[in-house]
This record gives sequence, C-alpha cells and structure tokens, in this order.
Amino acid sequence: MNRRSAIKNLAIVTGGVLVLPSCLQRPTSIKLNNLNLDLEQENLLSEIAEAIIPATNTPGAKMLELHLLVMKMVDDCHEREDQYKFVNGLKEIDNNCNEIFNKPFIKLGLTQKVEFLLGIENNKFEKADITHFYHIMKSRTIQAYMNSKYVMTNLVKYELAPARYNGYFPVKI
Amino acid sequence: MSNLNITSTKQNTFDAIIIGSGISGGWAAKEFTEKGLKTLVLERGRDVKHIIDYPTTNKYPYEFEHLGELALNIKSANPIVSRCYSFSEESEHFFVKDNEHPYIQDKPFDWIRGYQVGGKSLTWARQTQRWSNFDFEGPARDGFAVDWPIRYKDIASWYTYVERFAGISGNKDGLSTLPDGDFLPAFPLNAAEDYFKKKISTKYPDRHVINARCAHLTKPKPIHIEQYRGTCLNRILCNRGCPFGGYFSSNASTLPWAQKTGNMTLRPFSLVHSIIYDDKKEKATGVRVIDTNTKEEIEYYANIIFVNASTLNTNLILLNSTSNRFPNGLGNDSGTLGKYIAFHNFGANITAELNGLKQYTTDGRNPSGGGYIPRFRNVFKQETNFLRGYSAELAASRSPVTDTKGVGADLKKHLIAPELGPWSIGAYFMGETIPKESNTVSLDSEQKDAWGIPLLKINVDYDDNDSKMKTDFLEQFTEMFTEAGFKNIQRKSFIQSPGLDIHEMGGARMGHDPKTSILNKWNQIHTCKNVFVTDGASMTSTSTQNPSLTYMALTARAVDFAIGEMKKGNI
Repeated sequence: MNRRSAIKNLAIVTGGVLVLPSCLQRPTSIKLNNLNLDLEQENLLSEIAEAIIPATNTPGAKMLELHLLVMKMVDDCHEREDQYKFVNGLKEIDNNCNEIFNKPFIKLGLTQKVEFLLGIENNKFEKADITHFYHIMKSRTIQAYMNSKYVMTNLVKYELAPARYNGYFPVKI
Repeated sequence: MSNLNITSTKQNTFDAIIIGSGISGGWAAKEFTEKGLKTLVLERGRDVKHIIDYPTTNKYPYEFEHLGELALNIKSANPIVSRCYSFSEESEHFFVKDNEHPYIQDKPFDWIRGYQVGGKSLTWARQTQRWSNFDFEGPARDGFAVDWPIRYKDIASWYTYVERFAGISGNKDGLSTLPDGDFLPAFPLNAAEDYFKKKISTKYPDRHVINARCAHLTKPKPIHIEQYRGTCLNRILCNRGCPFGGYFSSNASTLPWAQKTGNMTLRPFSLVHSIIYDDKKEKATGVRVIDTNTKEEIEYYANIIFVNASTLNTNLILLNSTSNRFPNGLGNDSGTLGKYIAFHNFGANITAELNGLKQYTTDGRNPSGGGYIPRFRNVFKQETNFLRGYSAELAASRSPVTDTKGVGADLKKHLIAPELGPWSIGAYFMGETIPKESNTVSLDSEQKDAWGIPLLKINVDYDDNDSKMKTDFLEQFTEMFTEAGFKNIQRKSFIQSPGLDIHEMGGARMGHDPKTSILNKWNQIHTCKNVFVTDGASMTSTSTQNPSLTYMALTARAVDFAIGEMKKGNI
C-alpha cells in the first residue's frame, strides 16, 4: 500500500478528520539523525539499490541490506544540502514514475526500472534533485556492495594480514 | 606535618623524570631504567597499553560504522586535525581534537598532536633515514641558523644502537648522502619503481632511487623477539596500533621494556606546568604537574630531567618555567627559546603513467611505501637559486579500472572483476625549510587553557626559498619522468599550513655558544646542566630526512652522557 492510499483510507476510517501525515509515518528500521525518511521511502531505497545491484547467482542489494548503509552514510557523512537533495530527489522518483509509467517505481517491471534509472544516469532530468539523488545513491550503493562482508569474503577477498608483498606479480596480458 | 611533607617529598622523588612518552621519551625511559635509575615518565594524556588499547586494530572495513570514513559532525567540529592524512574512523582516538587543547594561530598552523602514552609513535609514518655530514654541516656551509655542535661521527654509533633495538628495514646503498645503517631486509621495489630506478641511474649518476627505509620488522632478531614483537604482516593498518608490534612504537617496544626493569613509574593524565628551578642550588629540582582528572597540583623531584613533550609543547614548558634566574624561560639567556622553528615542506607531488610492464602487478602490500630518493640538489656545492634541497618518496602501483556505467548484472560483473589500469607512479616532495628567527612560538600573555597554562601562540610561515625549491622539484621530476619514458605527467603544487607535515622542529636548538642556542652538543641546557631536551625542539636545522630516528639516537646518546655526568658528580 503506498502512502497516498493509506492516507485516503485512514481519512475514511476517521470520518474525514484531517490527520497530519507525520503521524502516519512508520519509522525507518535504523535510527536516523538528520534525514527525514519513513519506512516506505526506506523500501523504495531498497528497490532502487536492488535495481543497481540485483541478485544474480550471487546475492544482490536487498539480501545484503545495502540501502541501510547508504542511509547511514548519507545521514552521518554528507552535508545538509546533499541530504536535502537526497530526500527531495527520492520523492521525485515516484512523481516521475507515476507521470511516465502511471505507477510508482516499486511496481515497475525490471526492464522499466532499469530504463528509468538509466534515464536519470543519462541526464534526462539534468540538474534536478533526482539526478543529485541518483549519483549519491549509486556511488554509495557500489561502495556498500564492495565493502560488504559478502563481497569481501567471497568475491574480491580482503586480507587483513597479507603477510607478503610481491612487486613482480605476474599477470596475463 | 613536617614529617608528612618529608614522606611525600621522598615518595615524589626519583632519579630521573621524563616529560613525555612518545618516540623520544620512550627511549629515555628505556635507557634510564635499564641502567638502574628510578624513573618517572609523565604523560599528559591517557594510558594506551600495547594491543589492549588498540580498539580498531583487527576490524574489517565493514565492521566500521562508516567504513572508515569520518562522520561529518566530527570533521566540522575538528577542521584542523581532519586535514591530517592519518585521521580517520580507524585512528581518530589517537589524535587530539581541535577544541580539547586550543592554541593561537598568529599565522595558519595545523598542530597535529597525540596526547596519550606513546604519543605520535603510534601513528607516525615510520620512515627512518640517518642524517649525513651534508646535513650536519649545512647551516655552517650555507650560512643560516647556527653550526650544529655535532657531526655524523658523534652520532653514528648511536644510530646503530637504536636501529638494532627498534628494527629498521633497508638496504646498504653505499650513499654518502644517506649513511647505511644496521638493517633488517628491505621491502622490495616493484616493477615500475625498479624500472624508474634503472633509468635514473643511467641518466643521472648523482640521483638515486633506493628502497624506502622504515621501522618495520621484516625479519625479527632475538632482541625483537625478546620485546614480544613479531614479523610485520604487511597489513598497512599501522595507525590503528599493531597487535604484532610489527612497527616500532613506544607502546610496543621501549615502554614495556622499561616497565620490565621494575624501575619505571608511568603516570598518565599528568600535565607538566613547568620545571622547578632552585636559584640557590643553581639547578632544576623537579617539575610541577597538574593531574588532569583531579586538577590537583603535585611536585615531583629528580636530579635529571628530560624534556620530550614534542617539539612545540617542549618549547611551551620551557617558556613557562620561569624563575628569578630565568625570567624568560628555562635556559633562555640567549633569547632564542621559541625561535628558529622550522619544518618540512610537503606542498607538491607529481604523478605519471607507464605504458609498459603490463605483465606485472603487485600482490600483497608494501608497508615501506616504496622507494626513496635522497637529496641530490646543492649537495656538494651550491648550484641553484635556493638553499638546501629536497628528498622524495616514490610509489608506483596499478589500480583497478572499473566500468561503473549503467546498473544491473553487468555493473555487478564489472565491479567484481575490474581491469588492471596502467602503472601509475608518484613522487612526493619533502623540502628542507630554513630555520628563521621570525618563525616563533610564544606564550600568550592573557589566554590560558583549562589548567591555567598560557596558550601557545604560533607564528610560522613559508618563505621565498620554499617556493623556489618547490618549483625546482616539479621541474626536475618532470624531466626525470620524461627521460624515463613516463607519460601523462601531472604536477600538483599546493600550500598546506605548516604543522600538517607533523615535522615541526627547533625552538630550543643545539649549538656551540650559549649566546645563540639553548642546548649544547649533549642536548643539555647550557645554563641548567641537569635538564636535557632530546625531542624535535633540539633540532638546529631540519635536513631532508624524516626526523624521528635522529631523535631516538640523540636521546640514547644524551642519557648515556647524563648518567656519566651524574656518576662524576657534575650534575
């Protein structure tokens, strides 16, 4: 259920009494200090992350919960302006999806999701916050993926103590 | 009451007091305690016990809250220390935060400090080269500062002495500019560094690329095993503290050694206010300490006092140690105390790429950093429009090149199997700066810190010689990389505030003459013979070598001298 229909339904239940949307926000699964996001937006971030790093024969973003680290990094390590544009750009995702596909991002098929994200990457929205959001989202998702325990122990192994250095390590050309 | 006083005086009396537990203080502690002197080591910060107090040492990147990156609130609250290359989520607990210990910048100065047992020996860059006579004779030949009261022969055997215990890796390169030491095996150069070395040696007979010399145990000897230290495992996570003692620090090496003798009392949270000078006895009798937890003032007494508080804090303590005899600071008849501060200029680097040697890359990690190019400018004669010269660190590697375009399965594939880029090489400038009377530290007459000690005012800057030297570095290395067949040469020139080099030196310099210097050739205050300064404050000039090894050697030498003088009844 998306938030709009949730508000509509609740409005019916409460007999038309206006309830402030903030009361309806379900909190994110991790505590955030600066970003004003709710659980629905967290789920959207998770969907976007999964489209960037999908599950193949190895785990994807959802299983590795990469979006949580993205949220953490943006919440703690970015300037206010970045944070504002991140949240604002995220809102624009569904606005634009609704306009183009007539459904929110989460409901799109994989091809449409990819098409939409590539559109942002190829500057379809130019200087809009959605583009700013996308660059932060993509680079932080990649960072979270490459630094995940799964990748570091299975795919690109990180050695805490290599105990060697070879300056002439042979590689195939 | 008088009995109580006598008891407390006795309890607070030692044979020697050492102010500071960093790289030089740790050596003083080892030397005094080994020779049977009851020694008090005062450290203004907290205790850091080897291994136990290295909270991040075995963490994987994903075990850090922010993957090692600093949170913005820490960075914006600490703009000064955040500029330090080594300050990160992995190591921030070993650095002083900006607001904890304020100071006054008459000119911009990034004062990077480590207030804890072990000081900055936990986080140093571990590069260790001997000085040569070209360095010790520099001021006299080129007419700046004052003549060093020592020459290479005076310190050579002490270099050997400290190298054996600390464990220094390197090659015997046979260079007059960079004397050989007592080495453990060197870390190797890689294919591109070696290639550059060979090209340079054919083209420039007086320029040498050598394997960087560093304080790592590549092949521990019995003396290192006895310290419970083991082989360096190429982690390059040194600034977190090494659980193997693979690199030298006070915490891993000299302090546990001193502890084992039973002669050391280590007192953390002990800020030295000043050194007590007794006008009648005509010598120093002890130190005034403030316990930073209780704010209690305590006096400790000893016949020998070593000041190893780090360059600028040593200056601060001496300036704050006033008496009838020394109204301007201890030993400061000459008025030179706090003056002639110098440092190293790191404000340039140059990178380039090589289109060959694609059959090789590196595997594992090199804790030494790579290569080192000793000074080749103005060595045998003055040949440029600037005084002195520079050394350079050299490092080459092949970085993965990842195609991060697009999203989805292809992106994922590219991320985990990146292509290898070409060899990229970098040379990093380290220029000698000339000590000048105008580069000073002094005490503010009004503002004080939380313990009532005057704030230090720092007034240190670059000069014209520094910028000329930097231009020459960029020109010479552009030529050298071009000659060696490197492409895509990128020159970077920038100005970082003095201090960020963390090589500040001087202020209580050594010299022949009490009229123009504070210390004699034994690091002993000319006019207060039982006080010695053997940290960076004692340096007459800066050379182009990293300074720590020389502090260690000067310290061991000065302790040996002090004990001799004590036995002779001279102090």
